[in-house]
Amino acid sequence: MSTLQHVCQLLYDSHIGTMIRESDTAFPIIESVHVLAVTLLVGTIALLDLRMLGIVLRRIPVTQIARTVFPLTWSGFAIMFVSGFLLFWAEAAKNYSNPAFRVKLILLALVGLNPLIFHTTIYRRVHEWEILSTSPWRARAAAVASLTLWSGVIVAGRLIAYF
Amino acid sequence: MLSLFVALAHSSLGQYMQTSKWGFALVETVHLLALAILGGSVLIIDLRLLGIILPKESARAIGKDLSRLLLGSLVFLVLSGVAMLSEEALKCYHNPAFRWKMALLAAAIVFYFTLHRKALIHTDKQTPTLWSRTAAVVSLTLWLGVGVAGRAIGLI
Repeated sequence: MSTLQHVCQLLYDSHIGTMIRESDTAFPIIESVHVLAVTLLVGTIALLDLRMLGIVLRRIPVTQIARTVFPLTWSGFAIMFVSGFLLFWAEAAKNYSNPAFRVKLILLALVGLNPLIFHTTIYRRVHEWEILSTSPWRARAAAVASLTLWSGVIVAGRLIAYF
Repeated sequence: MLSLFVALAHSSLGQYMQTSKWGFALVETVHLLALAILGGSVLIIDLRLLGIILPKESARAIGKDLSRLLLGSLVFLVLSGVAMLSEEALKCYHNPAFRWKMALLAAAIVFYFTLHRKALIHTDKQTPTLWSRTAAVVSLTLWLGVGVAGRAIGLI
């Protein structure tokens, strides 16, 4: 048994993990919070992506949209992360070998990498293009990557229950 | 009304959803993706109406612009919702959470096209009045209620 698998088994067998798993209400409630947080996170980040693609709010500068959605996006992320970890805690040993879960983790790593690249490259010169109704192609590429990867995270996340 | 649900359950869509292994998973996923877009649009519109975000931008323009996303995602939500309903139409018919969800959805849509729209036009570039803020809170509550009731369908 690998170390990682061992840790998952420990979490699964722990008091808290067992409590969440065996309670009638804990899992569905945490799951509902998780879905709401995903909506908050993905819904707001998608708006910024769609703005850069020139599909919505074209007359508002990109930086202004970014400043507006970031607190919402980060709140969504924090709630999503905590609730997601609690769900994982309850199912860790099962999740370890779940292909949808593995794909989801890979996609989450990629979706984290995307803004990192975006902010250290094209976004540094955002003042040159923030008022353009459609952003330069590098920003549009980041937007398409973000929309695709987040959709992938939702799809993979939903499919965890089916494996 | 009941006969409509029976017909849906026996339709070819219903038959497909009941027997296919991946049909429900696929439709559920579409429902979730559309939900994220709808949630984001509603939130931004209502936070503007509350005067919390983008206070210098026209509430009317934001509402009009994002209504394309809101209504577009609503179409996907309703279509995927009908497909999910066809899988267990009779169970849903008697499910109180489902009835609540439909009532709240109807209320949310009617409110969106009437008083909510009025509040957006009325507010435009100004600081929102108490009435506009109330409209925003009602809208957020109704849409959140639709989601919570929807989640409850599978639990009761």
